[in-house]
Amino acid sequence: MSDVAIIGIGMHAFGRHDLSGLEQGAVAVRRALADAHLEWKDVQFAFGGSSAAGNADTMVSALGLTGLPFINVANGCATGGSSLMSAHNALKAGAADVVMAIGFDKHPRGAFDPNPADFGLGKWYGDTGLMLTTQFFGMKIQRYMHDHGITPSTLAKVAVKAFKNGSKNDMAWRRKPMSEDEVLNATMLSNPLTQYMFCSPGEGGVALVLCRGDIAHRYSDTPVFLKSATLRSRPYGSFEVFNPWLSPQRGEAPTVAAAKAAFEQAGVGPDEIDVAQIQDTESGAEVMHMAETGLCEHGAQEDMIQFGETDIDGRLPINTDGGCLANGEPVGASGLRQVYENVVQLRGQGGDRQVPNNPKTAFTHVYGAPGISACTILAV
Amino acid sequence: MVDVLLPREGTLWSWTIQGFLPKNPPYAGKETPLTFVPYGVGYVQLAGTDGGDGVIVESRLTENDAAKLTIGMALELTLIPFTTDDAGHEVVTFAFAPVRGAS
Repeated sequence: MSDVAIIGIGMHAFGRHDLSGLEQGAVAVRRALADAHLEWKDVQFAFGGSSAAGNADTMVSALGLTGLPFINVANGCATGGSSLMSAHNALKAGAADVVMAIGFDKHPRGAFDPNPADFGLGKWYGDTGLMLTTQFFGMKIQRYMHDHGITPSTLAKVAVKAFKNGSKNDMAWRRKPMSEDEVLNATMLSNPLTQYMFCSPGEGGVALVLCRGDIAHRYSDTPVFLKSATLRSRPYGSFEVFNPWLSPQRGEAPTVAAAKAAFEQAGVGPDEIDVAQIQDTESGAEVMHMAETGLCEHGAQEDMIQFGETDIDGRLPINTDGGCLANGEPVGASGLRQVYENVVQLRGQGGDRQVPNNPKTAFTHVYGAPGISACTILAV
Repeated sequence: MVDVLLPREGTLWSWTIQGFLPKNPPYAGKETPLTFVPYGVGYVQLAGTDGGDGVIVESRLTENDAAKLTIGMALELTLIPFTTDDAGHEVVTFAFAPVRGAS
């Protein structure tokens, strides 16, 4: 079975904009096509989605009514990852030669306000003030810090790194560097997490053009190969957002299985990763996901982050574009942003934020409600 | 399926403090940003029928001071008022409180 290659990438800047979410998605599509030297009529299959900004296939009215098959994807925080996995599978199956994966979103300001019924929960759960993703993140990292010796200073350093990297990314939303004290002394939203340790729902769009690996050089001098794209839902015993109870038998997070499958499918080990983009809904998520993905041992994050090993010039650069903390989280676009950034890094186009020494292998990871995770491995 | 009566006492498995007024809906509390008082939320480890670790339940906590919350502390079930309904009647919910006299 031939490889799959990414031959075009396009993004609409993250942040707050006047354009609709769909329009931001269409901007990203046009930029990705230009990057691949292709036109919309060359695209044979598309997968796309948003969580709050409309049906992706509506954008054919702006891009061209070519009649292509276009599947709308709705899979929470893994919407982008699911689109990409679907594109990967379509190419592997021989259903098309050139496929696009598209993600965009536009959320209202402030924390998400989900409906309990959408998650199989009674109305009481929302009524009594438990239906907040922020509480879950606070409680998961609180327990993790207790079990594995992670300090508040390390949580703050994750945010400091994100804003520093974001300041070098003209597509990022929050580009003002911040000190560790500023992060630690900000308003406590959900102990132990302060305001600047959380990402915000936002806006943006990302599009990728993919093709069969064996024809990639027809379109691009710098193809990046998608070695694996995996998705897993939660196994028994995992600790997830919106859990009124947890089972007596504790189990692993869905991230563990998604990452393991990604490494196996790619034939690559965690120690071979040169750059990684991992879900940092808040600072603690980045810390915990470092270990859940297999990139380090549980508890090793404390020293790694304190000594700058996850900085751009460190041993294992993580979230080099500023991650969700600096870019915000337009849910449908967020997972594809990570892949976009890894393509930039593997092409050596990172500019001020380029990872040194020609990175060859890159990893992405998203996590979201109600317990899903998607991972990819890219290589040049 | 077998019904199991859960114990009223447990230990704190993890916790946080809700520091901002949740959006309404889904939150039914009638506070405003000016009157809102942060509230504790936690997961409480209950004992299983075999005496080992049983189910862990999520609950509001009566304590909202971070300095007084420690993983492993002893807690017991109670009821607390959290809002009033449209007719002005008090609405209560379950919560866990530190066991008096325990440290």
